[in-house]
Amino acid sequence: MTNKIKLLGVSSTIAIAALSAAPAFAAGTAAGSTISNTATVAYSVGGTPQTGVSSNAAVFTVDRKITLTMTEPGNATTQVAPGSNNQVTTFFVTNTSNAPLDLGLSVAQSAAAHAGTDNFDVVTPTIWINTGPSVASATYDPANSVQVAYLDEIAADASRYVFVLANVPAGQVNNDVSGVALTAQAREPGVAATQGAVVAQTVGANTAGVDTVFADAAGATDAVTDGRISARDDYTVLAATLTVTKSSLIISDPINLLVNPKMIPGATVEYCIVVANAAGGGTAQAPAISDLVPTQTTYVPSSIVINGTGTCTGGAAGGSFTPTPAPTVTGTLNDVAAGASSSLRFRVTIN
Amino acid sequence: MMFRVLATLALIASPVVAAVANSVAVVSDMFVEKTVAQPGAKPKVVLVKQKSGPPGTTLVFTHSYRNGGKAPAANFAMTNPIPSGVDYVGSDDAIAVVSVDGGKLFGPLAVAKVRAADGTLRAARPEDVTHVRWTLKAPIPVGGTGKFSFKGVVK
Repeated sequence: MTNKIKLLGVSSTIAIAALSAAPAFAAGTAAGSTISNTATVAYSVGGTPQTGVSSNAAVFTVDRKITLTMTEPGNATTQVAPGSNNQVTTFFVTNTSNAPLDLGLSVAQSAAAHAGTDNFDVVTPTIWINTGPSVASATYDPANSVQVAYLDEIAADASRYVFVLANVPAGQVNNDVSGVALTAQAREPGVAATQGAVVAQTVGANTAGVDTVFADAAGATDAVTDGRISARDDYTVLAATLTVTKSSLIISDPINLLVNPKMIPGATVEYCIVVANAAGGGTAQAPAISDLVPTQTTYVPSSIVINGTGTCTGGAAGGSFTPTPAPTVTGTLNDVAAGASSSLRFRVTIN
Repeated sequence: MMFRVLATLALIASPVVAAVANSVAVVSDMFVEKTVAQPGAKPKVVLVKQKSGPPGTTLVFTHSYRNGGKAPAANFAMTNPIPSGVDYVGSDDAIAVVSVDGGKLFGPLAVAKVRAADGTLRAARPEDVTHVRWTLKAPIPVGGTGKFSFKGVVK
């Protein structure tokens, strides 16, 4: 009798130890965990309390429930310039299953994710993840990233940012939209740095072991309970439309000096080149200006002023002058936002 | 069945102590509650004997007791710690009482309170239950049987 109780007691202790080792995730208790239930009974006979009795342990195994989520952080289109390369769209994938997984990744052309209608295809979209110090960063880090075909050994509840890089054809115009869709598919984990086989759902009757159940929602381009999840993002072309205007102003001449100067030999003339970026487009990044110094004139050394206003005032010394093969003034302006203007000006003397 | 195996083991381990067997025996079981669609009628809830299931599965835990002794068993109390990995849902047994403090105090869930993380007391919810207990006022007669059950969901 005493021995039997002891044995039962031991069996229930094992059950409890096994139970406390079952971690619970957002998606639930870890797959393969054992749920073991035992009751204990106390009673008395003829007024004498009897030694308690434990029931047998009823045991249940937690199946593997595959669910995944994918979002498009920021929920905004990526603005791109025509002809630009390695333009980034960002996705955020979470393994909400109760088991670790490899996640196979694929990218496809798709409908627009935000405003507008998809009307062109970005070229050679590729899939990248950040590595090393940037592994948790939501921003693509060109210096710490690697192109991938799958996410390796993603623990239950773990997330990764995934970046799609693509090139924009040069011929695209403002408000052209190209959608991309990223799909993650549950694959078997277990071997690091190796993409496992596609996870298959257990077919037929429930087994006593760990079965696999697809419980994923329908993503942007995949179906419900298919072991996949997907989301869309898109690129919107936003070109800068630049207008360049050159004007001249006589500063002084040797006779009249600064008062009503005339265009005579020896006079100093200021040329001003204004770059105007039309409203509603993209930012013109670092527009570079190159201008031939007119014949019959001589460049006034160190007279270049860059980043002036649209009315040829302000700015700071900069740019450079190249005397040969043809005397040329060059300068690179700061970014010019849509609707803004910037200028470069320099002076010459008339020969 | 399981019980019998254990009892046999005990006897093998110590054949001299064969005197009085425990007079009350309990057999525990576990079922999965499934909702079966019925064409043209309300869905039917059935209990299925199933050994595994994903998180979210509703489980029904049962305990069948029998007084196999030669005298009535009085002051009968059966206590079931809620297994880890399971959230308590409820029991259809009117006499079931629960504990939300690890088995120290028992009472109806409706009056149980738990201390929240911020130190305030709030009404206990089913998932706060740590133990469920059934107590019989009347002694179980010789050969008397009965069954208790409660429902839980796989976390």
